[in-house]
Amino acid sequence: MSGGRQIGAIVKKDIIAELRTKEMVVSMFLFVLLIMVAFHYGFGTTTDFSPFAGGLIWIAFLFTSLLGLNRSFVHEKDEGCLEGLLLSPVDRPNIFFGKMIGNFIFLTIVEIIAVPLYLVMLNLSIRGSVPMFILAIVLSNIGICVVGTLLSTISINTKMRDMLLPLIYLPISSPILICAVTSTNGIMGGVTGEKFAPVISAMKILAAYDIMFLLVAYALYDFVIGE
Amino acid sequence: MKKAITILLGIGSVLLLTGIAYAFLVAPIAVDPNTGKEVFHQKILYFHVPVAETSLVSFILAAVFGALFLYKRERKYDFLSLAAVELGFMYGLLVEMTGMMWDKAAWGVWWQWEPRLTTYLILMLMYSGYFVMRSSIGEDSTKARFGAVYAIIAAVNVPLTFFAIRLIPSIHPILFDSSGAGLEGPLLVAFLVSMFGMTFFYVSLLLTRYQMFGVSEELDILKNQIGG
Repeated sequence: MSGGRQIGAIVKKDIIAELRTKEMVVSMFLFVLLIMVAFHYGFGTTTDFSPFAGGLIWIAFLFTSLLGLNRSFVHEKDEGCLEGLLLSPVDRPNIFFGKMIGNFIFLTIVEIIAVPLYLVMLNLSIRGSVPMFILAIVLSNIGICVVGTLLSTISINTKMRDMLLPLIYLPISSPILICAVTSTNGIMGGVTGEKFAPVISAMKILAAYDIMFLLVAYALYDFVIGE
Repeated sequence: MKKAITILLGIGSVLLLTGIAYAFLVAPIAVDPNTGKEVFHQKILYFHVPVAETSLVSFILAAVFGALFLYKRERKYDFLSLAAVELGFMYGLLVEMTGMMWDKAAWGVWWQWEPRLTTYLILMLMYSGYFVMRSSIGEDSTKARFGAVYAIIAAVNVPLTFFAIRLIPSIHPILFDSSGAGLEGPLLVAFLVSMFGMTFFYVSLLLTRYQMFGVSEELDILKNQIGG
């Protein structure tokens, strides 16, 4: 099997498993909703959320992604599926790319439903360009899934298992949070001219982050997944 | 190696103390170019900056030793990598502490969310994860493998965090910019002496810690030989 087909097979397996149980997408979606309600009460009588719109969205998505990332490997480990994958003639980095793309798809599905909901329920609007907004989300999602998949493979092989993931994932993903918030805040606020420069730099850093960690994951996944 | 450590420690301590003594006794008190007032708290720089730079170097070394471990699979590289993370972490704590003192003296508050100290805070949290991760792994070989991988991931993340945080405007004084060093004459001498001192001091600590791992491993082997 070629590399592309190996990755495709793993993604397909994850999608079929998810379609049968629906537990990952549903629980992630409910979690996003719950965080939104928590924000409403957390900010008291505030009705204008627009100055920190990006922050709200990305805090919610980052924590939601944790839920899915943990799930994606707990499954494999508990059912002994990981051993099966390792024994099958699939290149190790392809296992990584397969799992990562699966996580990316699930997170994106949740976001496609959650973003409009956040916009409506918290009275937010996108004043800048919508394609830029989508690009910022996609770039951040790639980063979240690359680092998340890599680190959840590590955490699942320790005694603390899913307890460990937030401790190592949140600090490592902090550049994503900063850049995602900066760019989406700028785009949602509709800034132009000189004030738009940080948005562009943030997106550049996001792109650099994605590329660097894709390379790191490609080089190191062999050592992570077990020997 | 013991002799080398003692020599390095000696040179380091002497240089470091000389640098700091020189800064306090000989070098004039720096003058703020904006207000024209003397700023005594600037003197923390002769300690704060060498400590900060050593800790960054230490994290880079940890990643390099980690990569060497993954490549060569020799225990000594894992020991060196772990020692470098531990020392980098301790130095990082010192950076935070001295930075906070400076904040208090210059701005009147212990903590400002300004980019450099925040970067260090994130770094500290990142490497705390390293220790938690290592301690929750049973097997030594897995510990070393994951430790090396994590040290590399964290080191790759350092420059990215550095740039990301700079998107938010800073009020931290910039010491070295493209126009050269912001220190002149005796101030620069004091700074460089303490910088070299700190480097020697650091290397001696790193080697000592490395030796300690070797000794404790030997001890474990001996314990196993006599039945536990």
